[in-house]
Amino acid sequence: MKTYLLSAFLLAALGAQAAGPPDTAAARRPPVEHPWYRPSHLVLQTGGGLGMVAGGAGYEFAKDRLETDVLIGYVPKRYAGSTLSLASLKFMYSPFRLRVTEQVQVLPITVGAYFSYTHGTVNDEIKGQYSSDYYWFSTDTRYGPLVGGRVTYLTAPVPATGLPRKVSFYYELGSNDLYLASYLNNRNGGLGIGQLLTLALGVKADF
Amino acid sequence: MPSLPFLRRCSRVAPLAALLGLAGCDMLEFSPNDHRVPEEFTNLTQKNLAKLQAKPLPAGDTLRFVFTGDSQQFYDEAEALVASVNQQPGISFLVVAGDISDFGLGREMRWVDEKLRRLYMPYVTVVGNHDLVGNGREAYQHIFGALDYSFVYGETKFTMVDTNGREYNFNGQVPNLGWLRPQLASLDGARRQVVISHVPPTNEDFDPALRAPYVQSLREARGLVFKMNGHNHSSSISQPFNDGVTYVNSDAFSERHYMVVTVWGDKQFRIKRVAF
Repeated sequence: MKTYLLSAFLLAALGAQAAGPPDTAAARRPPVEHPWYRPSHLVLQTGGGLGMVAGGAGYEFAKDRLETDVLIGYVPKRYAGSTLSLASLKFMYSPFRLRVTEQVQVLPITVGAYFSYTHGTVNDEIKGQYSSDYYWFSTDTRYGPLVGGRVTYLTAPVPATGLPRKVSFYYELGSNDLYLASYLNNRNGGLGIGQLLTLALGVKADF
Repeated sequence: MPSLPFLRRCSRVAPLAALLGLAGCDMLEFSPNDHRVPEEFTNLTQKNLAKLQAKPLPAGDTLRFVFTGDSQQFYDEAEALVASVNQQPGISFLVVAGDISDFGLGREMRWVDEKLRRLYMPYVTVVGNHDLVGNGREAYQHIFGALDYSFVYGETKFTMVDTNGREYNFNGQVPNLGWLRPQLASLDGARRQVVISHVPPTNEDFDPALRAPYVQSLREARGLVFKMNGHNHSSSISQPFNDGVTYVNSDAFSERHYMVVTVWGDKQFRIKRVAF
């Protein structure tokens, strides 16, 4: 049920984002009107349960406070027992932007959630293998929260737009539904919060 | 780009990261199926057997071990179990009859080991169906070791065999009778033998095509004290096939009970159930 709710939320958010080009972006970039579907940035990250290497693109809206990234990740066989490819969707909200210098900004807090689908697992629940609800969890579909921060560098203004491009380096601490379930089922301290955490490091660049 | 150069450098900066409390390399998880763990959490079966063999039981002594199973997601209980088992005198080792993990994830197997390595005695495991979901088969082999193996201790041969047929879509290969039969036929110098697996042959998750030959192999096994299983989350001692073979089923960690098993003579045994 939770999966369906989250999926619905993600789709709704995508739909809302897709429905109208953000006015702010249009206002800020009058000389070049990008089509609504053109991503605003490219992403490359490692870890966070989304791949040894995960690359993709993303959109920014609500004055760049909200972001959606779509990532395709890869994990080699030697680290997971089979070669895995992951398709992930991330939603992030960064409420504060601190200007350190002309060129450097710090986004101290990003909160968000992700949803990922893994392809290529060894034992992949073929049809009829189990009765329904034999396992309550999916081996392929994961979701979880993430919290992070980033440093953004602004390049020299691009002549076409008069606006700088951003290059950001970010970290994210996250977890997933299965780790959180394990934690919640042990209320006497059997697991510590630190044991649930994953780390992602990445870079985003406007293009 | 932080990805590849960072990872290569990661091993060198690990002590620093650990010092800073970041443990970044550990946390930089590529997927929940990523089974990379520090070396101390790999090959645990081999390491635990080496610890066991380092303290051989004098010939003729009774053998005493703790039998439990299904630790899956029961971390609070694992702590209590360790505290209780550490109070028991004369225990040579502990057996977890499968389902170490709930989701077949390496991180879970490590969490369980972090509890069980506090036992005063070594422990051994046999693979369970939950340890085989997703990429668990690979994680289990990396962290614990072989899916089928045997060892001799205290004049007793222990044969641990993967019986989780459903996880292999009942392919007719699990349990691997071609491996098991010669194991049962040779006691490797021991006086008696014990066979341990996760799914009992009475269960619907056991490959139905292999049930009869498996049960027959056990019936014909020389010096078999009993067959031990987990999976049911409920303890029992019975002879379900009325063929003289005793089947012992473990409690799960969640039942807050374990068995203290004493074995002596040709195939005498006593089982005491202990609450914790």
